[in-house]
Amino acid sequence: MNAVVFNSVTKRFRHRPALFNWLGRERGGATEALQRVSLQVPKGEALVLLGPNGSGKTTTLKLISTMLIPDEGAVAICGADTLREGGTVRRKVGFAVANERSFFPRLTARENLDFFAVLEDVPKQERGIRVEEKLGKTGLAADADTLVMKFSSGMYQRLGVARALLKNPEVLLLDEPTRSLDPGSAQRFWPFIRQLLSTGTTVVLTTHNFQEAAAVADRIAVLRRGELRSEREFQRNANTDLPSDDLSSNEPANNDGPSIDEVKSFYFQASGDAEDTPAFETAP
Amino acid sequence: MSQVSLTEKLVAIVRRDALTTIRYRNGFLLSAVGVLAEVVAFRYLAHAIGPAFRPEGVDYFPFLLVGSGFYTFLITGVQAFLSTVQEAQQTGTLEVLLTTTTPAPVLIFLSAFSAFAGKLANLVLFLVVGLLLFRVPLLHPNLLGVVVIFLLSLAVALALGVFAAALQIAIQKGSAVIWLLGSVWFLTGTIFPVGALPLPLRWAAWWIPMTHSLTGMRGALLLGRSIPELAPEIVWLFAAALVLVPASLVFFSWVLRRGRSEGTLSAY
Repeated sequence: MNAVVFNSVTKRFRHRPALFNWLGRERGGATEALQRVSLQVPKGEALVLLGPNGSGKTTTLKLISTMLIPDEGAVAICGADTLREGGTVRRKVGFAVANERSFFPRLTARENLDFFAVLEDVPKQERGIRVEEKLGKTGLAADADTLVMKFSSGMYQRLGVARALLKNPEVLLLDEPTRSLDPGSAQRFWPFIRQLLSTGTTVVLTTHNFQEAAAVADRIAVLRRGELRSEREFQRNANTDLPSDDLSSNEPANNDGPSIDEVKSFYFQASGDAEDTPAFETAP
Repeated sequence: MSQVSLTEKLVAIVRRDALTTIRYRNGFLLSAVGVLAEVVAFRYLAHAIGPAFRPEGVDYFPFLLVGSGFYTFLITGVQAFLSTVQEAQQTGTLEVLLTTTTPAPVLIFLSAFSAFAGKLANLVLFLVVGLLLFRVPLLHPNLLGVVVIFLLSLAVALALGVFAAALQIAIQKGSAVIWLLGSVWFLTGTIFPVGALPLPLRWAAWWIPMTHSLTGMRGALLLGRSIPELAPEIVWLFAAALVLVPASLVFFSWVLRRGRSEGTLSAY
């Protein structure tokens, strides 16, 4: 069964220039963030979205979470349509957004999670245990009573993952989840995700990191300028021992999937982006 | 079916707002000092005007105290709620809150309620300090009338808060509601009676909910008017609440859908 289905989805963002636009140079028209994208993610698998900045990766996650609704086509999560059954979808999807400031700065990590647990309808008798469990899994137990305004970017990112896990989602969305993590934490994050997959959770993850894609992906989709350029399934060794499900553990990443070079070559072929093209121009 | 009651959700939101308020330590103290300073200023204004001026049959100081205190409560409640929404937009929390399993209209209404609960503490402090410190006699207050007028005024103000939040999300200018309410204060009988206005302005004042809130609150608290005597204000406020509360929620839901469609939930 597919946990996530995109059926020819188009998403446009209209630009509305100011009334007295002659004073400046704001653009009009629309940006096609996604163009007739169709994809499926089977239950318990990880889809990694790769693509340059502005390719539509975050838009894809926002469409799954119901933060956005499609202009054309349909998105279904475990059979529920995001447009007509938004409430059902929201019960199934947890979203760790890339925005690190999306917390209440003058509440502690525990207070923030407790607040979101109430809004996520986690029953009172389970709430405390659930919050402690997620704090522990994301390595934040020691900082649980620190105001989050004093957190580093990496700690915010861990808290974002903890919040997304609060409702034990069927579909977990991760927007560049290791962007601000130190290399050690990032390496321990990938087996943590593989462990979640083994419990039947479906993961959709965006990244710019080929190592991350290789460590996590069952399938990789490459987006460029809103188009799905290519999608490929990668075989993983099913017999590999599952690592610890604790982000704070010291177990190393155990890559039983594609090699980094395999992912890289697939990405550059699919995106049409030359590997040696610099992101920024260098001085002559 | 939600496994967490509305009361639990309201308590969580009020707790979040209370913790945030008290952790701005200096701001908390400064607002308490501000309340005291305002009461003292009103006391001396009333003293300067003299005892001969008795609008609506009461001394000028309690007239000012109730009018200004209640009006400020209603306006700052709307403002506090709008600020919450604006901050949530700027930090990106709004988008996250709207993807929780709590339906958006419920979340927004409870958040607005919490903003007013925070301002209620200011109102109580304002009235208690004013009435006790300057020994204003409350001869026969109609407490039932006070509660009825308060609740109906609150419902109307909550709806105005939801309208402001919706405008903030739709056009990023929820402050237009505050500006509108702030610019008509002189019509509502806050510091001088509506009866002192020329006829066209009195007619305009009749359409403003706060006019009826202040008249009703002064009548119940300072003059001890009975429920039948308060009927014109009660009926007006009830009808306004009946129209504005559902209308604000329908408007908010429409705006939310538009924001989800255009990707502007976090635009500010």
